[in-house]
Amino acid sequence: MNRISSKIGLVAAALSLHVGGAFADEILVGAEIPLTGSLARVGAGMHEGISVAVDVFNKTNGKHTIKIVTADDESAPAKAIAAVEKLAGDGVVAITGGYGSNNIGPASDAANKLGLPYITSGGVAENLTERGYKTFFRINNTAGYQKAMVGLLDTMQIKSASVVYSTKEATADLAKDVEKELAAKGVAVTLHAFDPAITDFKPIINKVRLQDKPEVIVMVGYENDYVGILRAAKVLKPKVKAMVGVWSLATPKMASDFPDLMPSVYGTALLPFPAEFQTEEGKRFADTYMKLYNKAPDYLGQFGFVQSMILFEAIARAADAGTLKSGGIAQELARTDRQTLIGRVQFSDKGDNLNFVHRMGQHQDGKIAIVWPSDAATGKMNFPGVPW
Amino acid sequence: MKMSKTGLAVIFAAYVLVPLLLGSNSYVMSLIVAAMIIGGIALAWALLGNLGGMVSFGHSAFFGVGAYVSAILTMKAGVPVLAAMLLGGAGAVAASLAMLPVLRLKGPYFALAILAYAHIFKILATEWSSVTGGSAGLASVPRFPTLMGVDLSSKTGSYLIVLSLLLVFIAAYRLIRSSHYGIALRAMHDSEDATRVVGVNSTLLKALMLFVSAFMTGVIGAFNVHYINFLEPDYAFSGLWVTLPIVAAIFGGYRTILGPLVGAVTVYLVDQLVFKNLIPSGHQLVLGALLVAMIIFSPGGLMPLLRKGSRRKHAAA
Repeated sequence: MNRISSKIGLVAAALSLHVGGAFADEILVGAEIPLTGSLARVGAGMHEGISVAVDVFNKTNGKHTIKIVTADDESAPAKAIAAVEKLAGDGVVAITGGYGSNNIGPASDAANKLGLPYITSGGVAENLTERGYKTFFRINNTAGYQKAMVGLLDTMQIKSASVVYSTKEATADLAKDVEKELAAKGVAVTLHAFDPAITDFKPIINKVRLQDKPEVIVMVGYENDYVGILRAAKVLKPKVKAMVGVWSLATPKMASDFPDLMPSVYGTALLPFPAEFQTEEGKRFADTYMKLYNKAPDYLGQFGFVQSMILFEAIARAADAGTLKSGGIAQELARTDRQTLIGRVQFSDKGDNLNFVHRMGQHQDGKIAIVWPSDAATGKMNFPGVPW
Repeated sequence: MKMSKTGLAVIFAAYVLVPLLLGSNSYVMSLIVAAMIIGGIALAWALLGNLGGMVSFGHSAFFGVGAYVSAILTMKAGVPVLAAMLLGGAGAVAASLAMLPVLRLKGPYFALAILAYAHIFKILATEWSSVTGGSAGLASVPRFPTLMGVDLSSKTGSYLIVLSLLLVFIAAYRLIRSSHYGIALRAMHDSEDATRVVGVNSTLLKALMLFVSAFMTGVIGAFNVHYINFLEPDYAFSGLWVTLPIVAAIFGGYRTILGPLVGAVTVYLVDQLVFKNLIPSGHQLVLGALLVAMIIFSPGGLMPLLRKGSRRKHAAA
């Protein structure tokens, strides 16, 4: 026990030295992120966006300087709570980050108890905003993904679809919402749930092929699920006109890792690949990203950047108003209304982004073209089109 | 049941000194609470192995069922949190009743069968969405109440609850081990057949140990859900609720009563406070190496190693 106490003391001393060493005019912001564990890859992607936001903000703001203190939550809820508490102990004024609704829930709960604003783009579960916390803000939500998928299917003018979805929380919610909206539009929809642990999708795809005979297969899952579904479909060759997925599918990584499975497949995408930015902020983001990481930005970085820039600007406004430590940051965040790299951001009284609508991309010749909505399109939709 | 002076001193330190010295540091307190949650499961797991002679890979089933029962009772039936925690333990015992048919299996067959049960309960929690909230889970699970002016939902309050639970578990474990059931159980370790020949109902004894272990794990699961205030099937029935406690129990010495607890607190706190500060990403590597070294150089775990060290000191003196 004595040994443990002395080690705790040593670490506490080291931490206080670390914080004490920060410049007086620097404002500390916490990043609670999964850098290890099952969400490490997406966490690292978001963290890159946060770092780019710090660089851009500090160079363009001219008055305030932000310093990020990062705590790895190891993709585990209890450690996400501990990470938030550690960051609070380090003296941060707010928290950006979080991935996975099961980590964001307890972490933002802890932040709320400590009076720290928490902004994220890593969890779309409905119950996160239903808590009604005044300190919780989210720039994306299931509704935005649903609008994009249904919008694309509307454009295709299909009459039938089979929705193959993982029973995980976010995917099940989205699949059921998409099914409801399509059914209301008169589209014949069948639902096929699968356990996240399964890897062989041939039985499900065979059922879709022989029983449903839909025009489109809608996939609501994660990277490994898409790969399994597309592999099964490539073997069984159902007579469909399109394979439409959601997050983590229309990405450069999927295009390069699975070149035989991806052609003509659709997924949500904020950016075409190679990335093209029209706005001044977009170009600055892409340039800084390239400078820091020597690669083109992806959607995770883009979300991390947007959530952090919104937070940093709110912090700057609160600092100017002298309300930094008296709840001013959350109030300033609630007043946010600006165009960003993901569109206009305004928050509801529950902290959800009222305007979030995703875009749909399509894999075309190893590149990704935005094909929906038409005003953001960078390419023509290849329809009908499947990878086989 | 006698208690040594050192034992009393440790209990005093745990109840008084830890809250006094570390109570204001939420970060360290949350790590200690998390370590004790792992310690509680490790203790229950070691009890089943040590007294019942069964290796379980499915303790996440008891943890998850305990958590769900307690969360649902408080949210939907308005049962007070502390009473619901005990009922969560009872729920885990009820779940263990379904496992009775596999009690006659031995070794890896039992371990795998109980693992399958954990998966079954996870699927039930996902599919029975009208009660469990399905894959979306349950948010805003009620926190611990304020009792006699002490806010039990605070870090220190939660710590005191889990500490008290662990002390009760330790006392129960000691009581069982020193009773005549304990003698029969230890005899079963050497030869179950021989014990049966002299009239011991080994299956009944093993079932009782499964119930005790399930109850303890269920109560800890229930504690965790009111501490974290959030629950979903993947989290409640995660394999981590088995692997981490097994690592902790083996590290500390699963043949001893305190070994699993000491192992959990050591493994968790040293990893988070020391290794994580030295190597922010990939610190688990050091822990893995340490575990391998421990198994090679002291297969009995940390507790026998510490005892050996203190005996040597006494001999030298």
